[in-house]
Amino acid sequence: MGANQSVPKITAQDRAVLDLKLQRDKLRQYQKQIQGILDREYEIARLHLAAGHKERATVALRRRKYQQGLLLKTDGQLENLEQLVSTIEFSMIEVSVLHGLKQGNDVLKQIHKEMSIESVEKLMEETAEAREYQQEIGEILSNRLTLDEEDAVQAELAELQANAVRDSKPKRLIPFLRCPRSSGSERYLNQAPSYHPHRPCHHWMAPRKTKVKRRLPPLAWTLLTHYHQVPSRPRERVRIPA
Amino acid sequence: MALSSFTTPSGFLLPSIHSAPPFFTEQPNPRTQAQFTAQWTRLILTYARHRKLFMLRVEDAEVAGGDWDEILRNERINRRILPSHLSSLLDTMVASEQAAFEPPKQSRAAIIYWRTPEEWADALHAWAVATGQLNTILTFYEIADPPVPSPLSGIPIPLLRRAVTFLVKSNRAQIISVADGEGVRLFAAK
Repeated sequence: MGANQSVPKITAQDRAVLDLKLQRDKLRQYQKQIQGILDREYEIARLHLAAGHKERATVALRRRKYQQGLLLKTDGQLENLEQLVSTIEFSMIEVSVLHGLKQGNDVLKQIHKEMSIESVEKLMEETAEAREYQQEIGEILSNRLTLDEEDAVQAELAELQANAVRDSKPKRLIPFLRCPRSSGSERYLNQAPSYHPHRPCHHWMAPRKTKVKRRLPPLAWTLLTHYHQVPSRPRERVRIPA
Repeated sequence: MALSSFTTPSGFLLPSIHSAPPFFTEQPNPRTQAQFTAQWTRLILTYARHRKLFMLRVEDAEVAGGDWDEILRNERINRRILPSHLSSLLDTMVASEQAAFEPPKQSRAAIIYWRTPEEWADALHAWAVATGQLNTILTFYEIADPPVPSPLSGIPIPLLRRAVTFLVKSNRAQIISVADGEGVRLFAAK
């Protein structure tokens, strides 16, 4: 494995960028130093005031003011440097983008050379001819069917259409409680269900022949009868539409 | 005798053995001493990890007021670890690769490897990926002291250099040197 196989070479621009960044680091360190001096001078001024030396305190504060000005100037220089660094990095990115565009352009040109317009047109014409030929053959072959089979086919088509029309009529869909008989998916019914007020699911019940005496309030009755826990009630016939 | 564990003001839970006076003296019996040394190294590593401290010096035992006081001294039982004891502890840790003398060839100060240089290399790479600084040139100072605190803030430069050499070996970084200093450029892992 070679030394710098998959690693790009170090160019002069990289060294320039590194130089700038090192300068920026030096400036930041200088800023930290100045900040330290500022804090120290503040402490000194405070101590002098506490000891009662007002002039020395003012001298310390004046020094501090001067350092603050220095700090501001350093801030400005730092901004300049950072702007320069980001401009350089951006232009390096632009160069790589341009390079990518050029490569893509070359690839496209190569592909177009292989795929000329005349050859494509010729291909499309040949395909159209072949399709027409195939259609002719199909017609000839389909003419082999006898006339009665044709009638039978038409009758089946009519029946299918009638069924489709029937199925597409909107059915009243009623939400159901947890009915143990429901398959979980909604079913469209062939007729509108007879909605039993105490059976909210859409499994419709055959109408009652015998009148059953209700012993409980409606909701409880529904829940109980729904789960067939009332033994003396005749078994209901539940027709689930296919 | 019930020993109690104690939570220091910085939020570190000291083990209960730290409240035992014998813990701070060098034991003559080699087996007990080995046991205590293991406990001390574990304590030093956990504390360094908790407070992100890198350097341990023998003078932290001599002079009070450093970062390691919560470990090396116990005011409640009025005990502290002696510099000679700390020196032998450091020697043991360096021998077992849990620390390294820095600067080399002396035995007063060491960097504590609460994370091995390989792990630091991975952390450095992950930070570069997370902040989108792959393929850009970074200076060592910039990595060790970024304007936004990062998992690598405060890492000493020799440790950083070791992590970077590890990355260079696995083809994930490149060191660039100019007259003024050095920089590193990180690449995506192939």
